[in-house]
Amino acid sequence: MKTIKHLWPLVVAVVLAYGFHHAWGVLPPLGKLLSPFQGYLQNAEAEPQSGGSEIVLSGITDDVVVRYDDNAVPHIFARNDDDLYFAQGYVIARDRLWQMEFYTLVAAGRLTEVVGGAALEYDRFNRRLGMARSAATIAERLAADTVAHRMLEAYAAGVNAYIDQLTYKDLPVEYKLLNYRPEPWSPYKSILMLMNMRSTLNGGSNDYRLTEVLARYGADVVADLFPAYPAMASPIVPPGTPWNFDPLAVPPVPHEVAVMPDSSLLAFSVPAPRPEVGSNNWAVGGVRSATGLPILANDPHLQLTLPSIWYQLQLSAPGVNVYGVTLPGTPAIIIGFNKDVAWGVTNVGSDVMDFYRIHFRDSTFAEYWHDGQWKPTTMYVETFRIKGSAPLRDTLYYTHHGPVVYHKPVEGGYTKRIPVGYAMRWIANETDGADVLTFYYLNRSENYDDYREALAYFTAPAQNFIFSSNGDDIAITSNGKLPLKWKGQGKYLLDGTLAAHDWQGWIPPEQNPTVKNPPQGFVSSANQFPADTTYPYYLDWQFAHDSRAIRINERLEAMTAATADSLRSLQNDNFNVDARRILPRLMRGLATDDSIRRTVEYDALDRWDYLNNADAVGATIFDAWLDKLLTAIWGDEFPRDEQLLYPSLDRTYRLINNEPGAKWFDNVLTIDTVETIDGIICQSFRQAIDTLRKRYGELSATDWAWGRVKNTHVMHLVPNFVSFGRSGIVTGGGDGIVNATSHTHGPSWRMVVQLDNDWPIAYGLYPGGQSGNPGSIYYDNMIDRWANGDLDTLLFMKTVDEQSSRLQRDMILKPKN
Amino acid sequence: MLFLFILVVGALLSFIGPWWVLAPVCFVGCWWLSRCARSAFWQSAGTSALLWVGYGIYLHVSTGSGLAAQVAGIFTGSAPWAAGTLGIVLMMALAALVAALVGGFSGLAGLRMRQLLRPAH
Repeated sequence: MKTIKHLWPLVVAVVLAYGFHHAWGVLPPLGKLLSPFQGYLQNAEAEPQSGGSEIVLSGITDDVVVRYDDNAVPHIFARNDDDLYFAQGYVIARDRLWQMEFYTLVAAGRLTEVVGGAALEYDRFNRRLGMARSAATIAERLAADTVAHRMLEAYAAGVNAYIDQLTYKDLPVEYKLLNYRPEPWSPYKSILMLMNMRSTLNGGSNDYRLTEVLARYGADVVADLFPAYPAMASPIVPPGTPWNFDPLAVPPVPHEVAVMPDSSLLAFSVPAPRPEVGSNNWAVGGVRSATGLPILANDPHLQLTLPSIWYQLQLSAPGVNVYGVTLPGTPAIIIGFNKDVAWGVTNVGSDVMDFYRIHFRDSTFAEYWHDGQWKPTTMYVETFRIKGSAPLRDTLYYTHHGPVVYHKPVEGGYTKRIPVGYAMRWIANETDGADVLTFYYLNRSENYDDYREALAYFTAPAQNFIFSSNGDDIAITSNGKLPLKWKGQGKYLLDGTLAAHDWQGWIPPEQNPTVKNPPQGFVSSANQFPADTTYPYYLDWQFAHDSRAIRINERLEAMTAATADSLRSLQNDNFNVDARRILPRLMRGLATDDSIRRTVEYDALDRWDYLNNADAVGATIFDAWLDKLLTAIWGDEFPRDEQLLYPSLDRTYRLINNEPGAKWFDNVLTIDTVETIDGIICQSFRQAIDTLRKRYGELSATDWAWGRVKNTHVMHLVPNFVSFGRSGIVTGGGDGIVNATSHTHGPSWRMVVQLDNDWPIAYGLYPGGQSGNPGSIYYDNMIDRWANGDLDTLLFMKTVDEQSSRLQRDMILKPKN
Repeated sequence: MLFLFILVVGALLSFIGPWWVLAPVCFVGCWWLSRCARSAFWQSAGTSALLWVGYGIYLHVSTGSGLAAQVAGIFTGSAPWAAGTLGIVLMMALAALVAALVGGFSGLAGLRMRQLLRPAH
């Protein structure tokens, strides 16, 4: 009894210490996390003091000087390439370690290991896409390439040098909250990071949805409503540019071009392409600029996240001095400039993801029928380690096309117990090429020829690489590996038994759409068709809506004596081309209804100047109305919940403006009445106004202001970590606007570079901050300036000793002897 | 005396040791200095909580970072009230609770173990 009386406090203390030392379900280890000596408060960062520090590291051969400016941008000066990329890895890991590892977990389908079973379906999808396996193959292949291998290895060594220093106290706060530790970095992980980008930019498909349309309405309706080229277009390569090459023979279109879908599950597992993921870039030549030399601008539109997708830095070593942004996890600069050249990218977005209906021999999935014979599949067993539960296994089957992304379990008699499945051919799983080398060589480019050579290494996702140099060259190339297809190949689901449906080879890279110094004096892209219908190869039947492209080209055509600020102003252009194209006709329709014409909403729209400015009420009404209008026209025949695709905006506008008697205006669900175009216009307007009133009250200049309704937010990569994000950011713009800032997506980096014979002047900004730490002032310090449309002047140093009042602190990395 | 011992030794060891180093500090402190169960528990608990909350508030104020309220947001599923001062109070209260429980029972354990093993003192 006495012993118990004396022992119980010890037992309780040990149990409490144990309990607070470990995680329980989603609850992190509270002792570790809450202790101010180790836990999250150690991540609270004061504003950095000026001064210097020295860090001794093994893995470098000489001193590396890192100078941080007032925006926490590191300027790295090394004496050789190995040390340079080592330092890049080390420096970026200090700011973004958690984020870069997170991306690799996403691409490898391993999120369940850190967030638990909730991520299982997402992981399963990413594993079935096959990205991890392809990344491993690429990393293995690159090991034989001296330049790429050295760069990736040095970078990984730098990241690992940082990881090796970390105790619990130093870990980024997300590791503490989710209770795990970083793994060692490797070249494979850098490739995984690029895989993640391939998936973001090319990881969607409408093949299933369009095949459903074909099955329901036939080829004539598809040809009419889903044409292969828009009515109003402004392609990247200016029409009339000659194609100076002898094209390869294009494969003939086979008799059968599609297989009908037998299960809608494919549509549910493969997302549609994301229209809000896109980008702008343009360059004006010397003839249009005030300086007589080119000025280049780029703003890639991606999901707005914290930590930011981009990281600014300067890399300098003998043979290279370059500034720009990089993706955390990959070496070199992705978008940037050096003394002589500047370059940027936008996504091409051609059809590089196709689905083949696979005819398996039996329920073992061991063989499939192709080109008149049974061929073996390759089988891989995937193991999902799930935080808080037992591991799970999933079998993945590969055909010669690629992984089987969806297969139906054997069921019912009607399929004769032979399962069906869809294999995916996807550019992201191509393992040749060396994308990182493109950036390695672009970073060192001096002129147009260097640019063209650098592009040759690039595989995917194909990008519109824009270029300018102080030799007064401007150019743009839709660059990457592009499959050689028959016209329309992959518009629908393909038949995996037919050899004619296989990809037929590749467009020779030098025949990818490109233009240098066109007579118009500028080049540009906004994800639209790379070329008009004279281009000899089939790339896709649909590209991004042309509204941004049209506006950009209009403004560039009108530009003379352009300055960097002219280009900055164009990046922030809020003009709504769609409204200009369609609103006059819609307003005429509304005017037929007196009760609508007397409303304040009609009045606001009537007075709207087609600018999607933050304070524009007209933009709010137009946006809500367009949504209802599209549903009113297409929702009955092409219901989205049955996985059908709506015709494009371009086709819809042509229908409204030019085909008022089209049968599509009639709602087939109302048998007794025949709706007319004007009826639909009025009805959808009323619906939109009702919705807006319910959500925001009666019309008012503040509550209905576009910036407020759009409510742009920048969220943390972990969806549940809402308080690590920012919402309620007031900006103009929107989908299809040059300033493509929507609720969730937008310009993830804006850059303008004014080339010069002596030294370029560059401006840039992104919606976030250099630090990935929510406890740092540099976590989101650029967001407000970004929302205002401002750009920072970038400090591009000539030498390590350069004096500047903007330089705040130095960090010297010293080799360990 | 016990208060000072836990505060000073606890602080020094906390900078280099794991978070639970408060437990042995309170244990030893009470073994050595405490005479009564109530004071062993409450002095250990109070001093431990003071140490964590004091240093926590120091870090919060000296860095000017809003991290405490942001983490409170994660703990509360982004409850709006947690975004400001109340969130910081919540996080400090949680820290105080953990430190007090572990410190308090460890102190009491130190006293009881001494009474068990060396009853003469």
